[in-house]
Amino acid sequence: MVLGLLGLKVGMTQVFDSDGKMAPVTVIELGPCRVLQVRTQERDKYHAVQLGFKDKLRRKAIRAERGHVASEFSSKRRDSMKQAGVKILEKANCEPQRYIREFRLAAAPAADLAVGAVLTGEKVFKVGQHVDVIGTTKGRGYTGVMKRHNFHGLPAAHGSKKNHRTAGSTSSHASNRGSGRPKKGHKAAGQYGHERVTIRNLDVVRIDTDKNLLLVRGAIPGPNGGLVMVQPTNKKDIPTPEARAAAEKAKRKGKGVDVKKK
Amino acid sequence: MKNKLMAAVEEPGLKKEVPQFEIGDNVDVHQRILEGEKERVQIFSGLIISRKGEGMNEMFTVRRIVQGEGVERTFPLHSPKIAKVDVKRSGKVRRAKLYYLRDRIGKDATRLRERKKKTPIVAPSAVPVNTPAATGGQTK
Repeated sequence: MVLGLLGLKVGMTQVFDSDGKMAPVTVIELGPCRVLQVRTQERDKYHAVQLGFKDKLRRKAIRAERGHVASEFSSKRRDSMKQAGVKILEKANCEPQRYIREFRLAAAPAADLAVGAVLTGEKVFKVGQHVDVIGTTKGRGYTGVMKRHNFHGLPAAHGSKKNHRTAGSTSSHASNRGSGRPKKGHKAAGQYGHERVTIRNLDVVRIDTDKNLLLVRGAIPGPNGGLVMVQPTNKKDIPTPEARAAAEKAKRKGKGVDVKKK
Repeated sequence: MKNKLMAAVEEPGLKKEVPQFEIGDNVDVHQRILEGEKERVQIFSGLIISRKGEGMNEMFTVRRIVQGEGVERTFPLHSPKIAKVDVKRSGKVRRAKLYYLRDRIGKDATRLRERKKKTPIVAPSAVPVNTPAATGGQTK
């Protein structure tokens, strides 16, 4: 229920902080995102903003995509709406957008989040903040239990016959109270990957306003070039960067005292 | 080829003056160490046995023998903690990675290396110069 931004995963590298410590970071090309629509309680029964990211060539966009961002657009439907006197929603008047996602909000958005507004990384995030990154993991297809669930498989020798990567027994009368079938949610072979995953609580290491880059500490789901959604974390009790720095300093000091005592 | 955006992220962190050394060099690695509030320089001297990675990920490995035990440390080339790398002596080597030294025992293992036949003709040894002899051994 917080405002986030859309971005593309660029890749991973490492950077040194001011202390000379190395941090593994993921580079995200974040925004600028344009507000295409504002969902309101009265009309849509919920609050949200719809963001678009990355322009799309007009000739490659379908008419619906073009009409979604243009207030001056002629179509049978819109013309008839106009004739009937139905008010057409406000449009962002920009190029058709390649990626469009909604961010749900708890309350009506602030006034500067009107249709057509452009959001960039530094407006929404700041360095040291914790963010959640939502992406789609790399698809691995239909995989067996060893790859998908880290099962150990069966022995390679000792009389195993043609059963080396199987799961083994899936149920028994004792474990399942005589139902005669495996428990619900039993781990088995199946589609692995290509699912929506949220990685929570990643540090924002750096924000590059010129190139619209956001660096977060750690890995995020998906391949390089994959779409991700970045939003402030929903984890609670996250200390502020200042508080964390103070805690670290205290820790360091404590160590120093110990050394002296010895 | 590296992604342009990626290069832009790494660029400010890369050292303007990259330490010059080659595989097989005996070096002193000057490392800044923070002790409490004070900073001092610690020197790790040994033999460069490997250099790998590119850009920000470039690392080099220094091997030395301490009390009969081989010790290796791998440093990030672009780490701000690495103050400088002093080349003390150059060895003549025919490999890019000197991992075979790990299997050697005793005196002839690490310390005794053939010296380079010719020192760079023009340059005094303290100044890194791109003579053919200095760059010839490097892969990039």
